[in-house]
Amino acid sequence: MESLRQTQKRYCSRAMIAAIFIGIALMLLGFIPIAKGLIIGAIFSTINFVIMGETLASRLNKSRKKSTFAALGSISVRFAIMAIPIVIAIRSDKFNIFAVFAGLFAVQAIIMSEHIYKHFFGAGKNSIKGGV
Amino acid sequence: MEYDINFWLKIAAVSSGGICMGLGAMGAAIGEGYTAAMANEAISRNPNNSGEIFKSMLVGQAIAESASIFALVVAMILLFTNFEATSFVMVWALLGAGLAMGFGAIGSGVGSGFPAGAACLGMSRQPAMGNKLTTNMLIGSAVCQTPSIFSLVIAFILLFTNFDLRPLWPNWAAVFGAGLAAGLSAIGSGIGGGIVAKENCEGISRSPESAGTATNIMLLGQAITQTPAILGLLVAFILIFRVYPETELISPAFALLGSGLCIGIGAIGPGIGEGIASSGGVKWISRNLKHTGDITRLMLVGMAVAESTAIYALVIALVLIFVV
Repeated sequence: MESLRQTQKRYCSRAMIAAIFIGIALMLLGFIPIAKGLIIGAIFSTINFVIMGETLASRLNKSRKKSTFAALGSISVRFAIMAIPIVIAIRSDKFNIFAVFAGLFAVQAIIMSEHIYKHFFGAGKNSIKGGV
Repeated sequence: MEYDINFWLKIAAVSSGGICMGLGAMGAAIGEGYTAAMANEAISRNPNNSGEIFKSMLVGQAIAESASIFALVVAMILLFTNFEATSFVMVWALLGAGLAMGFGAIGSGVGSGFPAGAACLGMSRQPAMGNKLTTNMLIGSAVCQTPSIFSLVIAFILLFTNFDLRPLWPNWAAVFGAGLAAGLSAIGSGIGGGIVAKENCEGISRSPESAGTATNIMLLGQAITQTPAILGLLVAFILIFRVYPETELISPAFALLGSGLCIGIGAIGPGIGEGIASSGGVKWISRNLKHTGDITRLMLVGMAVAESTAIYALVIALVLIFVV
């Protein structure tokens, strides 16, 4: 499971770094609620991704039915956590709600952009090496 | 207790938020469960590659649940925003928004699970194609999210448009019908797109040299599979933005509601059917590259025939809007 942790670390750290850099740039330009929204969304996106990885083992080595129920339980818990920044943004003017939405997709955006970049420009374009 | 418009707005918002999240979680959970089940099979076939399979499963599941994050966002807006309106049309718009996003997330969640599962299984067969399988899985899953993005757009339009100047009859049915049209029509295209992407991942793992051609055919097939959802989106736009004069008759309102239901339900089958037709093309091109032209032609004809029933639904939906 060590390589799984490394994958999580890689995507989570990149998502946070990207969110912080964009957030700082937005703050310097005066868009403080947008910057705050983006960063808080990205924090919860990484928390969601970490919990998702940690609960993976509980969904394996079971029947399809049990895996589906385990996935539903996992989603419910993680979504309850991801609801927190949205509620904060709705209740407070200090966070831009649409920036929070964007931040919640930070990890997914990093995963997609990395693979699309690799596909078109990477050295491993036609690589047959294993791995994600 | 006073049963004024604010009371009904609150009732609509909370019930719509609950329905939205409930339906939205369903698709992603099925997709994730399917992926996990396929990962089980993959690890049992090739335990030595379990680390890569785990990673692929994690990444695939993260993308698969994007649609349900859309549903979460819409549900939270519904639950925690104080909506103000002077027309009861807004009550129906809130209900329509929740249904649009809730139904819209089902297909994308289920569909995205298929390529993720196939990629895990493919890695057990061809560990050397891990990179290519992951990339194609992500591209396939991303296209599967398109119908749920259409639903998100309609949900946001319904939530943030001011309907105060619209008379209740027949506009309540137009906004509610728009939500149903966008949400239901997204189900088939989301699942269909996933079926195509699944065959692409499986094909690459069986026949790595077909990767380039099979991926192009997958993208073509997925693009056509999205058409029923686009027809649903089109009807939803017409229902929302066309101006309907006030009437005391009941039939115009139910014609508009029927229009949304017609294209919404009518698009489910074609979306899945086109996905199955296209998956056949991708599957057999992977095994028989020499006959790519013939297989692609047959695939496109099959998809066009499957598409025709969605067009019938579109025609009737437009008749219900413009003629009845």
